Amino acid sequence: MRGWGVHAVLLAATALLAAVSLFVGTVWLSPHEVLAALSAPHPDLAALIFMDIHLPRTVLGLLVGAILGLSGAVLQGLLRNPLAEPGLLGISEAASLGSVIAVYYGFASTTTLAGPVFGLVGALGAASISLLLSRSGSTLSLILAGVATSSIATAGVNLALNLAPNPYAAYEISTWLMGSLADRSWTHVQLAAPFILVGGILLLLCGRALDALSLGEAQAESLGINLRRTRLLALAGTALGVGGATSVAGAIGFVGLVAPHLVRARVGNRPRRVLVPAALAGAAIVTAADIATRLIRVRPEISLGVFISLVGAPFFLWIVLRIRRQTT
Amino acid sequence: MAGDGLWAAMHSGSGGKTDEGHGLPRARWVHRAYALGLALLCAQPACARAEVPLRVMSINVCADQLVLALLPPQRITSVSWVARDDADSYLARAAARVPANHGTAEEVLRQHPDLVIAGTYTTTATRVLLRSVHYPLLEVAPAESFEDIRAVTRRIGAAVGATEAAESLIARMDAQLAWLAAHPPGRRFRVAVWNAGGASPGRGTLYDAVLTAAGAVNVVTEAGYRSFDTEELMRSAPDLLVQGASGFSKPGRRDDVVRHPLVLAYWGERSVTIPESLYTCGTPFSAEAALRLRRALEERSAVARRPLPYVGSVQ
Repeated sequence: MRGWGVHAVLLAATALLAAVSLFVGTVWLSPHEVLAALSAPHPDLAALIFMDIHLPRTVLGLLVGAILGLSGAVLQGLLRNPLAEPGLLGISEAASLGSVIAVYYGFASTTTLAGPVFGLVGALGAASISLLLSRSGSTLSLILAGVATSSIATAGVNLALNLAPNPYAAYEISTWLMGSLADRSWTHVQLAAPFILVGGILLLLCGRALDALSLGEAQAESLGINLRRTRLLALAGTALGVGGATSVAGAIGFVGLVAPHLVRARVGNRPRRVLVPAALAGAAIVTAADIATRLIRVRPEISLGVFISLVGAPFFLWIVLRIRRQTT
Repeated sequence: MAGDGLWAAMHSGSGGKTDEGHGLPRARWVHRAYALGLALLCAQPACARAEVPLRVMSINVCADQLVLALLPPQRITSVSWVARDDADSYLARAAARVPANHGTAEEVLRQHPDLVIAGTYTTTATRVLLRSVHYPLLEVAPAESFEDIRAVTRRIGAAVGATEAAESLIARMDAQLAWLAAHPPGRRFRVAVWNAGGASPGRGTLYDAVLTAAGAVNVVTEAGYRSFDTEELMRSAPDLLVQGASGFSKPGRRDDVVRHPLVLAYWGERSVTIPESLYTCGTPFSAEAALRLRRALEERSAVARRPLPYVGSVQ
């Protein structure tokens, strides 16, 4: 029952953060004001800001955080490596590269779907390269193939910066790469949500196989687990979800790495048990960080990805030290 | 801060390259080699400062505008590559008729101009080198007001020996500004600059001066450039949005933010555009931006007079 307790605490924390996030912004709203505004017959300022700016921003934060946390948990289980996250396999970088190409070579202005689609193509491309290169090999070769793909994608983004048509474009690309949820609308939610949800379902389907995999690859196969199918599910799910998330929110690192570690101390080491709590923790982290970027009144707003790495990494180090002290 | 970053990026003659050439021993060696090359160049008669520099090289997009406006093409060895981009450069056509440079010391060596004009924020490495060998160099700070524009224009005009041409450019600008001041608009509309680069100009910026000259009131009142998001736009509820038309031949992330559904719903008809190239650099052509803005404001005045549908209930 300890597991359910953790779920309840995480769910409550995420819900509370999401609720706070609805009222915080450059324009602060009070619940009373919003209630009055929503019941008014005509659209007014508070209702518009609540419904069309704060609400989509909060929903997007929850979705992006959840898929990052979930994909981190699945990849750590699949690769049996505590450092695994979408970035390790080059999936987030390739998604960034796809989106940058879509925006700066004009595809995104012809159709709004181009951004997410190019992001997905990038993410799926990276995932399939990693899969192909390690088809007959071990988990280690999958990680190494991922690291190589990641470097290529990063070089591609830097090349796009290098060849930017004018200084403004370079400035915009680098700002976008920092990751942000500012000024996002329902359009962005509509674009990203289907991919994130489908990706999330694929990832959750991996649960049983991940538990078996924790015994070792040979043991898992003897238990009837199809290793290749599991890899395909995990990488396709990560590519869809992270590709969708990255194409609307930019590159947000670190959440995929840290969310599973945060919950593992509470729910135990069985990979399947980590999945849902890691998704909740990811959603809570991104929402909390997004609130913080709005509370810190510096101009311009600190980018979400920058803030998460800046504050998250020292916190993560502290956790690592504490775990080490407990185990020795 | 955003303004500074943008400004530096905008006026970057070398696309943001700032390899200063110290740190590594090899880099220092290369630095010395260039310095020697430039010093040798300077030893030649051409460098023995003529009264009026015959051939001028500009390595900053804003200086480019004035050099192109003041000098005939045969007296310009080159202007920066950014000057050919009509999104940022008002005189892009004229710039296409002279060679382009990327603001490097190699190009100064090769082209051997009598005077190099640079900005104060960009091409640091080149400026340091040129200064160290006392190469004729004029460093010009960006103009942030019409007063700055007069000073910068006079300074460059004097340096290249085109004082009269500079004065006539200034006189034209002053006549345009005087006309605007003498014919105030029927109503001073409250406007917000919505460039969606994230930064909107406030007090003390050239853009604010352009808005004021055109007879509009800027809703952003803080000094300098600051970020201005959709929420604040909704709250400040300006009568009209002013967008920079960069021709939009170059797609970018900003298109996406400009198309926020709320902004489209309330300001879709209440938007005016003026070419960015008229005001990204403070030049005598910035008065043209104010004139065009006045015309655009008048065209939209019927829409702008209507109150925004959501205003009134909360405030």
